Amino acid sequence: MIAGAGAAGIRRVLIANRGEIAVRIIRACRELGIESVAVYSDADRQAPHVRAADFAVHLGAAPARDSYLDAAKVIAAAQAAGADAVHPGYGFLSERAHFARACEAAGLVFVGPPSSSLEQMGSKVGARRLMVEAGVPVVPGEAPADQSDAALTAAIARVGYPALIKPSAGGGGIGMKIVRAATEAADALAAARREAKASFGDATLYVERLIERPRHVEIQIFADAHGHVVHLFERECSVQRRHQKMVEESPCPALSPSVRQAMGRAAVAAATAVGYRNAGTCEFLLEGEGDIARFYFLEMNTRLQVEHPVTECVVGVDLVRTQLLVAGGEPLPFTQDGLTQRGHAIECRIYAEDPAQGFIPQAGPLLLYREPQGPGIRVDSGVAAGSVVSVHYDPMLSKLIVWAETREDARRRALAALRDYAVLGIRTNIPFMIELLQHEAFIDATIDTGLLDREGATLASASVRELPEAALAAVAEFRRTGGSPAPGPSSSAAAVAAGVDPFETLRGWRG
Amino acid sequence: MAEPTVTHLGAGWYLVDDGHRRWRVAVAGNTDTQWVFVDGQVATIETPRPGRRSGRGTHAGVMSPMPATVIAINIEPGQAVSEGQTLLVLEAMKMELPIRAPQAGVVKTVACAMGDLVQPGVNLLEFE
Repeated sequence: MIAGAGAAGIRRVLIANRGEIAVRIIRACRELGIESVAVYSDADRQAPHVRAADFAVHLGAAPARDSYLDAAKVIAAAQAAGADAVHPGYGFLSERAHFARACEAAGLVFVGPPSSSLEQMGSKVGARRLMVEAGVPVVPGEAPADQSDAALTAAIARVGYPALIKPSAGGGGIGMKIVRAATEAADALAAARREAKASFGDATLYVERLIERPRHVEIQIFADAHGHVVHLFERECSVQRRHQKMVEESPCPALSPSVRQAMGRAAVAAATAVGYRNAGTCEFLLEGEGDIARFYFLEMNTRLQVEHPVTECVVGVDLVRTQLLVAGGEPLPFTQDGLTQRGHAIECRIYAEDPAQGFIPQAGPLLLYREPQGPGIRVDSGVAAGSVVSVHYDPMLSKLIVWAETREDARRRALAALRDYAVLGIRTNIPFMIELLQHEAFIDATIDTGLLDREGATLASASVRELPEAALAAVAEFRRTGGSPAPGPSSSAAAVAAGVDPFETLRGWRG
Repeated sequence: MAEPTVTHLGAGWYLVDDGHRRWRVAVAGNTDTQWVFVDGQVATIETPRPGRRSGRGTHAGVMSPMPATVIAINIEPGQAVSEGQTLLVLEAMKMELPIRAPQAGVVKTVACAMGDLVQPGVNLLEFE
């Protein structure tokens, strides 16, 4: 294959990321005839993304700040490997304007928006002001220049109760405080300031009206360097726990065609207002459903999203491939009129965490790992059997994405795939996910962003089930043979010999 | 009930026929502890040993569920503790994790120190 045959300009891409998204990007590079350069920390020497790439460069120690978050090391690696472009993936350096600027300065194509867009959208206060100017609806709120208690308390009263205090530099729900009455304002402001200062080094706050029981609906947008800006419809991401998304789907069951169209137009206006380029996402809160639903701009994610595959399934577009083409200077390979939604896609994020113990992240080796397969089933993963899940990074192991003609068909397909997804050695949220997909609210699509906060504990305890006795028979056989591969039939007479009590129950044991 | 028939399919997978239906079961682990998967459910079980109770109190001690740092030790050897009493506090991923006594007893030894990075599966302290 001729290198660079697919994407004008780009010949060799350094992927400044790890895990499933690095593997995903490497695959897209290979299809386009672009060479891939992986980077890795001490903890990731044997990781699948390192094995998958054409070249690999060691960055440093396991902690992200010494490796994947060290912009200077990443740029030095790109130059040493002779890369001409850098794909940041999501997380890590993907939304750091200084990193995009450093790439630009080093003559590396940053596969993402210009650093100016990152700057404009990086400040929530600035982004909000821009959106108001662009005519994009925002949640009623204020960002007072006077940050005194008195001024902020007055702003809360004007916005109305319940109000939400948010750090300007924030993310991930840190420092966000709900104020339901004037008497709560002082304490909430103090706590929000403390957390904002500690986490972001910036105590600037703003105030919004709290939208109760909202849906989180986001619009995928794409822009090229030739003046084209299009949207690729919505993703419904309301199933989240502490602002961490867990299940995403497309289309959103609550959107009517007219609201969908209005949201798409608003997202395109937002992208146009900041001179956006490449893939991005406008996040909205949706209040109500059907034609009377109202939507409010939340923030713009200036990167590829974790949940991009549901859009790929429903719209039939490869977003990562498109990112590489657009970064190489090519025009978008599709127009707004040519884009339609077909069928329904659901993504389940598979996390190394134990829902039965308050979702504590898990670490350790994967003793056995087998992904489900079949029509309409896609697994984007960054682990394999034998991988050691490290405490240093995000606990997401993989994403299960299913597609089917209808939402109910997709839900059933996802359930069947989850029941066929074997991960042994560490706890995952798969049993929890199986319960969640059978919850009445999920079946009826009456989901909102508070669903898991209300139902999470119930679902978690329901997910610890007794296993069938058949499982015990297999364990007995494993004990008898030491797990050595000696295929052939046996019987539970051996189980008795191996000392397994047939009345021993297989509840999830934990030490 | 009929005796189940177990066929090892290789790579940790077993086909179990219990006379009613067939189950595909995966097992991995070592001689002490086995992880088992069937139909999306996962459990860990311990090989019964003489002098060892199955379940929570299997080891006469407590372990960390994950790699973590010891940030508080509330007990000392020889001290009597009641069930549920917080013995140690660990920190992992910016979260505090209290380690409580699985049963009443007397602490025999403390096998960790303040600031230690401890691993799962290793006793942090032992009871008499």
